[in-house]
Amino acid sequence: MMTLDGLRSFGADVNDGLARCMNNEAFYLKLVNMAVSGEGFAELSDALSKNDLKSAFEAAHKLKGVFANLSLTPLYKPTNELTELLRHETPGDYQALLNEILAQKARLEAL
Amino acid sequence: MVNQKKCFDSDHNEKRLVLVVEDEQVNREMLGLMLSAEYDVLYAENGEAALSVIREFSSSLSLILLDVLMPVMDGCTLLSIIKKDDDLKRIPVIVLTTEKEYEVKCLKLGASDFIKKPYDAPEIVLARVQRIIELAESTYIIQNTEFDRLTGLYNQEFFYRYAEQYDRLHPQAEMDAILLDVQHFHLINALYGHDFGNLLLTVIADEVRRCLSDIGGLVCRKEADMFLLYIPHGVDLPDLLKRIQSVVTRHTGNSTVKLRMGIYPLADRSLDIMLRFDRAKLAKDAASKGKHGTSVAYYDDSLHKQQLRSQQLIDELDHALESGQFEVYFQPKYDVRGDEPVLFSAEALIRWNHPEFGFISPGVFIPLFEESGLIFKTDSFVWQRTVEQIKTWREKYGIIFPVSVNVSRIDLFDPILAEHFTELTNKAGLPNSAILLEVTESAYTEDSRSIVDMLEKIRSRGFKIEMDDFGAGYSSLNMLATLPIDVLKLDMSFIKNITANKKNLYILELIMQIKDKLGVPVIAEGIETREQFDLLKGMNCDIIQGYYFSPPVPADKFEVLLKEKVKK
Repeated sequence: MMTLDGLRSFGADVNDGLARCMNNEAFYLKLVNMAVSGEGFAELSDALSKNDLKSAFEAAHKLKGVFANLSLTPLYKPTNELTELLRHETPGDYQALLNEILAQKARLEAL
Repeated sequence: MVNQKKCFDSDHNEKRLVLVVEDEQVNREMLGLMLSAEYDVLYAENGEAALSVIREFSSSLSLILLDVLMPVMDGCTLLSIIKKDDDLKRIPVIVLTTEKEYEVKCLKLGASDFIKKPYDAPEIVLARVQRIIELAESTYIIQNTEFDRLTGLYNQEFFYRYAEQYDRLHPQAEMDAILLDVQHFHLINALYGHDFGNLLLTVIADEVRRCLSDIGGLVCRKEADMFLLYIPHGVDLPDLLKRIQSVVTRHTGNSTVKLRMGIYPLADRSLDIMLRFDRAKLAKDAASKGKHGTSVAYYDDSLHKQQLRSQQLIDELDHALESGQFEVYFQPKYDVRGDEPVLFSAEALIRWNHPEFGFISPGVFIPLFEESGLIFKTDSFVWQRTVEQIKTWREKYGIIFPVSVNVSRIDLFDPILAEHFTELTNKAGLPNSAILLEVTESAYTEDSRSIVDMLEKIRSRGFKIEMDDFGAGYSSLNMLATLPIDVLKLDMSFIKNITANKKNLYILELIMQIKDKLGVPVIAEGIETREQFDLLKGMNCDIIQGYYFSPPVPADKFEVLLKEKVKK
């Protein structure tokens, strides 16, 4: 069962994310669950495995926006980094960043 | 669907409607939660879905919040569609983006503002949304009141205000007040359709605007085809008119469209700005009444004197009615179908014996009272007097002698006109057939439906309708078959030119040939000579009125004719 304290221990800036939800705790938790179970992760993995960098950028960019709005900092950081690499298709270790994102997702799901 | 007015309600009983376009559900719901405190919120998850929502709610949407990167149709594409669409472009769009490069692009496409991700605190988002909505609404109000929708020129209210401002900023400038319009514009609309009329107006507006960017000054569309120009004195105005005229002819491909100008040169600044343009209009009106083909007319001293006198007549009307300055004269109409002319009817005509000016021609005061909306007063005076006279003659001679009265076009817009006439005849104990109503031909062609309805209503009560001035304007023979007309009265110009103009003669013969088939008798008025009389009688004209028989005479003189008729 996900709780605000759990999210805090995960590293989320809970007060910040909560404020955007008019301090409605249930609504915030609902959106966090929605974000974790969304299709964005699969789209990103998929695009990267096909080396479709344009689609990968779009998927990463979208995830980044959601994580930023919910203040899920541990997810936001690697997603942001990956987005910036993909934006100009800068060579880098995309896979390592994806792994980091998926690891943080798993941590969140384990709460 | 919610009415457009809702956007401007000052009491906030109803919430404004906003649309969130965002493909990511988390973001959509988060924004929705923030906004739903203050607004009704609609959602769409891509540009294409959004467009159909926007079209459906185009008149009630107050704002669109738009994400940029979306599947199917992205935000930039949607934004450019909205801002190019005349029905939609008033709706402000706030773009949801973190990307600097999109900010510039979206601003160029017409975005009003941005909201970044992560979103600011709800209070900040709401404040931005509110500010953009207010800004868009006040801009919309200003644009819709300041500018004429069709031509994009100022409307008259703002025009007058800017003209006054111009005067303040240029205290020494000498200015001309000008009125520009299209001859017979309503007819052009009727002949070629409103789309053509509108095209014509926009072509004029565009060309005037182009000219004014060279010579300076202001322009507006006052109403219909009437443009007002306030420009520095010294411009060659006939030349300006020629320039606009040639562009109009070229663009419309129609050389029958003619423009006119009334000019009040060196407009007096001590006069109210509206009065200055009234003078320009007066010049234009005077010119269009007078010599044909005058396209430029100036306001001058004689017009000024005429204007003062007109105002005096208007001011004195009530007093003149009360003090008996008006009198009703009767001109006989003779039935000429038999061997001997037989007194058949009469036309009641108003006379004004002014204590200062003497006899004033109805040709002077009737148009004046028509324009100023006072004609009902003199018309109903004549109707009343006529009914009383018919009643008196009935009591004296035991016959009901029918008389025709003039009914102005403007009277026909009075919804209870039929009741008014019925009341008159009822009070006098007369049948409705005792009164014939003379309605000028142009009334039928101008705003025909409502006028025709009114005439049918009056006719169904037993009053007879005479169509006056037939052939003066744009009537067609077809009208005779379809309109409520009992008698046709030929325009006097037919008679005047009958010997000089062969074409008139042929037209007359044609009318005379078909009138019997249509069952509509014809009256010729203005017959002065034996020659004219013989010609018309020879053509099988039914009834004749004119100085050949008698001028209009007071009731007591007319009675002499009536006595003879009774004796016979």
